[in-house]
Amino acid sequence: MDKNLNTSSERKQNCSDENKCFELLESILDGEGTVDSNEMLNEKLAKCQPCFEHYHLEKAIKEILQNKCTKHMVPSELAATIRQKIQELK
Amino acid sequence: MSEVQRKKYSDKDKNNIFDHEFMPHIDSMYNFAYRLTFDEDDAKDLVQDTYLKAYRFINSFEKGTNAKAWLFRILKNSFINEYRKKSKQPAKVDYQEVETYYNSDNVDYSMTSDLRVDAVKDMLGDEISNALNSLAVDFRTVIILCDLEGFTYEEMAKILDIPIGTVRSRLHRARNLLKDKLRSYAENMGYDTEEE
Repeated sequence: MDKNLNTSSERKQNCSDENKCFELLESILDGEGTVDSNEMLNEKLAKCQPCFEHYHLEKAIKEILQNKCTKHMVPSELAATIRQKIQELK
Repeated sequence: MSEVQRKKYSDKDKNNIFDHEFMPHIDSMYNFAYRLTFDEDDAKDLVQDTYLKAYRFINSFEKGTNAKAWLFRILKNSFINEYRKKSKQPAKVDYQEVETYYNSDNVDYSMTSDLRVDAVKDMLGDEISNALNSLAVDFRTVIILCDLEGFTYEEMAKILDIPIGTVRSRLHRARNLLKDKLRSYAENMGYDTEEE
């Protein structure tokens, strides 16, 4: 197992409802959690190894998507072209 | 969205809305268009068409509401109605089939569970971008809207004309597909993806 998960032995190794749990964990990561979400999240992460791993992996992927995905520069003339076309519409 | 009541804006109002509420999103719009079309000229055309439509239908936009989501919805619809037809991309992926597959209960999560957080963190921008770009357009789109653009599920539901439940499940499936891609990158990078 992962070296830095020193408490992993205390968690259950199988999740009884992965599909549902993982969707829920992802919605919490997406900021769509409800009032009870934090409590639920802490409990799941403390008690369930698959949930713990899924949450941290998804969190890392979300972060690299946000920070590393190639960004394309808007072509410099695009805004001017749009404004010009709109003038023609008037 | 904000189409409940048609407004009657003066030319000055229109210009004001256009400059201060629409144009500030041109960067996000262009990047969304580029990630849909993978072509600079197509992306430019798509953004230009979207802004022209936005101006033409500006009376159905309520000043001060969510302009970004409104514009993204127009762009997405233009893409589906016009660009997707003429694009050089292979025939539409059988999306229903993919959704059904990932919706089934017996998805093999062990396929992706061995991808490590450390391997993900070490990935390069190009690798993550390529993995994202390799997903079928409907799956790519939900990840772009959620993770790159930060739209809420409710906004995504409106942009994509699908129920919130579908947003949630489609995102989950898209992420599983993305992890499959990242896992093969991790393997190619020489990361040990096997359990120790």
